[in-house]
Amino acid sequence: MSYFGELKRSMDYLATHPRTIYLGQAVAVPGTAMTTTLKDVPQTKLREMPITEEMQMGITIGLALDGMIPVSIFPRWNFLLLAVNQLVNHLDRMPQISKGGYKPVVIIRTGIGSERPLHPQQQHIGDFTEAFRLMCHHVDIIRLEEPEDIFPAYRKALDREDGRSTLLIEYGDYYNEK
Amino acid sequence: MITKLTKDDLVKFEEKVAETFNAGKIKAPVHLYYGNEEEMIDVFQVIEREDWVLCSWRSHYQCLLKGVPDEELMKEIIEGRSISLCFPEYKIFSSGIAGGILPIATGIALSIKHNGGENRVHCFIGDMTSETGIAHECIKYSHNHDLPIRFIIEDDGKSVCTDTREAWGTDQLTYENNDDPMVVYYRYQNSYPHAGAGVRVQF
Repeated sequence: MSYFGELKRSMDYLATHPRTIYLGQAVAVPGTAMTTTLKDVPQTKLREMPITEEMQMGITIGLALDGMIPVSIFPRWNFLLLAVNQLVNHLDRMPQISKGGYKPVVIIRTGIGSERPLHPQQQHIGDFTEAFRLMCHHVDIIRLEEPEDIFPAYRKALDREDGRSTLLIEYGDYYNEK
Repeated sequence: MITKLTKDDLVKFEEKVAETFNAGKIKAPVHLYYGNEEEMIDVFQVIEREDWVLCSWRSHYQCLLKGVPDEELMKEIIEGRSISLCFPEYKIFSSGIAGGILPIATGIALSIKHNGGENRVHCFIGDMTSETGIAHECIKYSHNHDLPIRFIIEDDGKSVCTDTREAWGTDQLTYENNDDPMVVYYRYQNSYPHAGAGVRVQF
């Protein structure tokens, strides 16, 4: 199956869980390449958000603390940078500050912007994977290199019972190339 | 109300923390309340056991009033966790990051509404935090989506040692004298400093 096909299959799989909810900009309406991977996810599970990345990440954590499994979508790494406070200071540090009492399970989806056929310039193609791996100790950070990597990674992110959250990074260019 | 704690009970607990801190027995920061006991007890009149309470680095009163036994709370404080006290069994989450709890509280409230729950969220913030962008975003979002949440603004006029009104160049805070039912505002004077208990402790 293609890179896009595996992403869509993964989103459909996550949607079968009764506690998942998808949130972000352009999840319930068109707007990004990621939107099309959600086209068969029930509308009741899609929560369109304003542009407010830090609030979105905090809301994501809050949803998870109350027992939901949020799939929080930030279309590009460059946009996710605006949510670093919540990601690093709260989600990643949660096991330490709560002595393992709170175990929010969060799935975060972001991407490295495509450069072909249009190049969106330097504020849209960032890849900060290695920097975030250095900053995060309790959030698994997975780069989705090949189509066959995708579904197992999302299935693990959903089914894991170790209380860890997962940040999955996709490549915009691979939507058309793999 | 969950507990029958009085103003004196709250004051005595903070005095005990202060005494322990000044004796060098707590090797981490503590942030103490004084002067807002009546307001705090009043705020807790409508807080139920199943409600969530989110706090900043100053949260001893909220923990006690939510039902955390004083010896359990003191143990956490002595172990150095005063600035981020978390008690999942009492639905308490605290953070040492200014404004950090606001969107988390909003997310919990969104989950409660999404799932048809009947409990609520109570989010305690200070005066400087109430002026931040994230506060405006979260209060606006909660208001517009009619989420089951209250924001309690505790105004002691300072953020560490910075005068909030002077720093922002205003005489009146955004939510001061407001009639928003989602926001509770009160002003008080804390006799303790921002951190510690007023005595230089040599560790």
